[in-house]
Amino acid sequence: MRFEVNGRVYEGDPEARTSLADFLRHELGLTGTKVGCEHGVCGACTVQVDGEPVRSCLMLAVQARGRSVRTIEGLASPLQEAFHEAHALQCGFCTAGVLMSLDAFVRERESATDEEIREALAGTLCRCTGYLSMIDAVQAVMAGRREAARPD
Amino acid sequence: MKPAKFDYIAPETLDEALALIGEDSRPLAGGQSLVPMLNFRLAQPARLVDLERVEGLSYIEAGSTLRIGAMTRQAALERSALVAERWPLLHQAVRLVGHAQIRSRGTVGGSVAHADPKAELPVALTALDARFHVRSASGARTLSAGQLFRGVLTTALEPDELLVEIEVPALPPRARTAFVEQARTLGDFALAGAAVVLAPGYQAVALLGAAAVPVRAHLPAPLDEIDDPYRRALLAALVDRAIAQAS
Amino acid sequence: MTDDDRGGWIGRAVARREDARILAGESCYLDDLPEPEGLLHAAFVRSPFARAEIRGVSVLPGAGTALVFTAADLPGFLPVRSPPGVVTAQAPHPVLAPGEVRYTGQAVALVLAASRALAEDAAEFVDVDYEPLEAVVDPARAPELLRFERSGGDVDGAFAAAAHVTRARHAIPRVVAAPMEPRGILARPEGDGLSVWISAQDTARSVAGLAHALGLEPERVRVALPDVGGAFGSKGTPAPEAAAAAAAALRLGRPVKWAEDRYENFLAAYQGRGMQADVELALDAGGRMLAVRARILADMGAYLYVHSAAPPHTCAMLMCGAYDIPAARVTVTGARTDKVPTGPCRGAGRPEAAAFLELTVDQAARELGLDPLELRRRNLVRAFPHATPLGWSYDSGDYERCIDRAVALVGPERRSDAECVVGTGVALYVERAGGQFEEARVALEPDGRVIATSSAGPHGQGHETMLAQIVADTLGVEPERVEVRFGGLAGTGTFASRTTAMAGSAVLLAAQRLEREGGTEAHARFESDLVFGSGAYAAVVEIERATGVLRVVRLAAVDDAGRIVNPLLAEGQVVGASVHGLGVALMEEAVHDEAGQLTTASFLDYSLLTAAEAPDLRSAFVQSPSPLNPLGAKGIGEGGTIGVPAAVGNAVLDALGGRHVDPPYTPAKLWRALASPAVGPS
Repeated sequence: MRFEVNGRVYEGDPEARTSLADFLRHELGLTGTKVGCEHGVCGACTVQVDGEPVRSCLMLAVQARGRSVRTIEGLASPLQEAFHEAHALQCGFCTAGVLMSLDAFVRERESATDEEIREALAGTLCRCTGYLSMIDAVQAVMAGRREAARPD
Repeated sequence: MKPAKFDYIAPETLDEALALIGEDSRPLAGGQSLVPMLNFRLAQPARLVDLERVEGLSYIEAGSTLRIGAMTRQAALERSALVAERWPLLHQAVRLVGHAQIRSRGTVGGSVAHADPKAELPVALTALDARFHVRSASGARTLSAGQLFRGVLTTALEPDELLVEIEVPALPPRARTAFVEQARTLGDFALAGAAVVLAPGYQAVALLGAAAVPVRAHLPAPLDEIDDPYRRALLAALVDRAIAQAS
Repeated sequence: MTDDDRGGWIGRAVARREDARILAGESCYLDDLPEPEGLLHAAFVRSPFARAEIRGVSVLPGAGTALVFTAADLPGFLPVRSPPGVVTAQAPHPVLAPGEVRYTGQAVALVLAASRALAEDAAEFVDVDYEPLEAVVDPARAPELLRFERSGGDVDGAFAAAAHVTRARHAIPRVVAAPMEPRGILARPEGDGLSVWISAQDTARSVAGLAHALGLEPERVRVALPDVGGAFGSKGTPAPEAAAAAAAALRLGRPVKWAEDRYENFLAAYQGRGMQADVELALDAGGRMLAVRARILADMGAYLYVHSAAPPHTCAMLMCGAYDIPAARVTVTGARTDKVPTGPCRGAGRPEAAAFLELTVDQAARELGLDPLELRRRNLVRAFPHATPLGWSYDSGDYERCIDRAVALVGPERRSDAECVVGTGVALYVERAGGQFEEARVALEPDGRVIATSSAGPHGQGHETMLAQIVADTLGVEPERVEVRFGGLAGTGTFASRTTAMAGSAVLLAAQRLEREGGTEAHARFESDLVFGSGAYAAVVEIERATGVLRVVRLAAVDDAGRIVNPLLAEGQVVGASVHGLGVALMEEAVHDEAGQLTTASFLDYSLLTAAEAPDLRSAFVQSPSPLNPLGAKGIGEGGTIGVPAAVGNAVLDALGGRHVDPPYTPAKLWRALASPAVGPS
C-alpha cells in the first residue's frame, strides 16, 4: 500500500493488526509520535490524516492507504515557539499529540475563548503541566496572528 | 497491548461486505470502539471487514425525513448545517461524543451498533424515534430503537447483518431540543444524561444511564424504578436542566 | 554584553533549552531508541488471581519459538531498605513469582519473541496451574508488613490536662502515578555485564536495584537514561519486570526490551497513598495545641520495594505540621494486603500528613467555635530552627506570611442557597526535601564551553536549564556557554523534590571551586540534612445541590521553596502539581474489589483531569532561604499535590457544614453528604 507522510510517499505492507502509530514509529522511524495508552484516551498518538486530528493508535496502518498523514516531524507552526515561551511542556511526552491537535484547531479559526481552547485540549492528557500554560500559548499565537494581519 | 492476529479485507460494495461478515468476521467502521477492544484482546475476530471503502454508506440527506448513512463520520454530522437547523438534538448530542480526534474517525452507525449504554447518539436517536435500516445478504429489515438496543453492548443485529442507514423523522413544528449529560471529565463517557424534545402538544424524553439501554419516555420521566437515590436524583436534575435549556 | 550583565542568572525566568528537540519531534524516550540487532521483545504472563499458589507452569506448542522464563530460570529479588526505626517483615519483591502470587497482575513468566505482538500471542500459550487462595484486601485484617512508632513530649499528660480533644478519622485511597510514558528497559549484554537504557528517575537507584536483583557488582551494570516521559515517583526503583528483562538479556547474550503498556502500568506499577488515620488533637481552653496522637494504617500491598516504607514514615514524622505542638505520638502499621505494592507517588506521605492534620484542625476550630485561620495563628511555629517532638528540625519558614497571601489570593466565600453551597478551605503544609548527597563536576573546555556534569536525572522538570543557570551565574558567563550532562557521578537520585537543593548546590560548589582555584576542572560533593519547604493553599468550591457536582471557583497556591532559581520552571511545577492534586482530590482512586481485582485498570475507568477542568489558579512564592545549602533552596515539585487536596478537603468540609467526606470528592458522595443531617455547630 502507498500513502503520504509529511509530503513523502511511502510504500509498505503492514500486517493488518499493526496500528498506524506503530507503523509510523517502527517501520518508518518517525518516532516523534508517541504511544501512551492504546485505548484512545490520552491522545499522545495524535497525528493528522487528511488534515484532521486522529488517534493513530486506533487506526490500522492499512487504513492509511491512499491518505495523506502529517506527524510532528512535518509540523511547522507558530505553536511550537509559543509553547517554548510559555513553558507549555515539561517531560514532552504528550507534546506531539497536543500540537497536532491544536494545529488543526488553530488553523480553523481566527480567535477562541479560553473555554474553547480548553475543550480543544481536552482530547489530550498531560500529567506534568496542568494545561494553563498551553492555553496561554494558544492565545499568544492567535493574538500574534491578529497583530500580524492588522493593516498598517 | 497488541491485538491478536486477524485477516483484513476492505470491500468496495455493500453486497461484497454483506457476503463477508459473519460470526467470526466482524465489520470495522470508525474503529474508535472496536480497536480498543482488539487491543485489550477483549475481541478476537478471525477477520475484520473494513467498511470504509464501501460505496454509498456515507451521506446526510434530508427530505421529509433525515437519512444518515451508517458510515457517516460523527464529525460530518457535527458540521452539517442542515442537521443543526432541522434536527438540532443530533447536533447537540454529537458535540458531546468524545473529542474531535474521536469524531474525525468515529461513525454514527458504529456508535449505534456498539450500543454502549454510556454513549450519546443511541440516546438522542431514541428520543427522535429513529428507525434503523438493516441489511443482510438475504434481505432487509427495519428496527425501532426499542427493538435494536437489547442490553449493554448488545443489539438485535445478527452476525450477518449490517446497519446501513439511520432514518430520523422530522421534528414537530416549533420543536426545541436539548441534550444534557454529566461526565467525570469533558469528553469522558457520560454517567447519566437526558435528551429532550419539546413542541406544542408534543414532548419526548430519552434517558442515558437509567438502564442498560436508552429509555424512551414521556414527561414526567419514569425514575421510580431506579434503586439508587443518587442516580434517581441526578437523572431528575438532568431532565429538568434539559427541559429548561429546551424551553 | 557588558560586565554589568554578568551573573544574575539565579532567579531569572529562562526558557528551557530542553524544548527544541521535543518540539521538533526529535525526543527519544525508551521505546524510540534504535533497536539493536537480534532484539527480543518482552511480554509477561500475569496472575489473574490476587492470591494463589503456583503448582506448575507449562509451555504449550502454540507458543512456537518464543522463549519463556519463570522464577526457576531467573531467581532473584529486588532490594528493600527502611528508614531508621521502621520495622518490617521480610517481603522483598521477587523478580518473577516463585511458587505463589500475591497480587493480581504480578508477573509470573517472561515471554520473549521477535515483536511485542508475537510475545503477547505466545503468552496465551503459557499455561499456569494456579491454586487460588482467599485474598485479603481489607488492611484491618491483613498481616503486618511494617511498624513504626515515634513519640516525644508528655503526650499522655497533655491529653489528660486538655480542655478539649478533637477526634477525627480520615481515609485517603490508593492512586496511580500514571505518567504519560509507562516504564521500560532496553538491556544489552556488554563486556562482563550489562548496558541498560531504562526509563527511570535516576541512574543511582537503577544500578543498585538491578545489581541486587541480578547478583552483579554495581560496576558491571552500566545505566543510561533516555528522555523520560514523567515519573511522579513511579520510576524510582526498577520494576521486577525490568529486572527480569535484564536478567534474560544476560542469560541469553541478546538484547531484550520491555516497553510497558498502559494496562500493565495500571495493574502492576506500584501505587501511591492508601492510608487511613485516627487523629486526636488535644487543645487548651485558649485554643493552643497541647499534643497530637495519630494511628496510621497503611494499605501497603504484598511486597516492599526499596522505598515503600518512606511514605508512611514521612507521613508519621510530619504529623505536627506547621504547628508548635510540644508533644506527639504516632504509630504506623503497614498492612500486607494481597494487592500491588505501594511506593512513593508525588507527595509521598506529605499529602497524607497535610490532609490528616489540616482537616482535623478545621474540625477542631468548628468544635471550639473558632475561625480556622485564627486557630492556626495561635499555634504556628514562628522561630527557626524548630525541633518537632517527633525528631525532625525545620530549618526555616514563614508560615503566617504564606497563610495571609493564600487567603488574599483566593478571596474567601461562603454561601448556601437553594442551588448550591459554597465553602472556603485553607491548608498549611510542611514538607521534607533535600537530604543525603549529590555530586557535580564543572570543566572548562579549550573552546570556551563549560561542561557541568550532575548526578541528578531529569524527567521533565527542566534540570538542565536550571543547573546551567547556576553555573552561568557563578562563573559570570551566558547560560548558552554551559552544557549540562547527567550521569557518571555518584548520587542519591531524583525524588522528593531534592534536585535544586542538592544537585543544584553541588553544581554551585563545583563552579565556585573552579572559579576560586583556577584550573580546568573542579569536583564537588554536597551533603546535607533534610530541608523543609512549606506553603499554604486555599480553595473556594461550589457544590451543586441537585447533582453533587463540585466546581473549583478559585484556587490559591503559596509555596515557600526557599530561593527560586527559575521562577518560570517553579511556577510550572506548582501548576502541574496543583492540577495533579486536584484530580486526586476529585476523582482519582485505585479500587480493588473483594477478590483483589483492580477494577480501575484503564483510562476509561480511572480519569485524569483534562484542560477543561484545570482551575482558576493564583500562585505566589514566599522565599525563606534554607541555611542548610549554599543556594538557600528547598523543593517545589510536589507542593501542589500536598496543598491542594487538603485545601479542597477543608473547602468541602466548610461547604458541607461540617459533614465529613473522604476523598475523592465525587458528585455521588457530595450529594449523599448534603442529603444527610448537618453536624454540630455551623
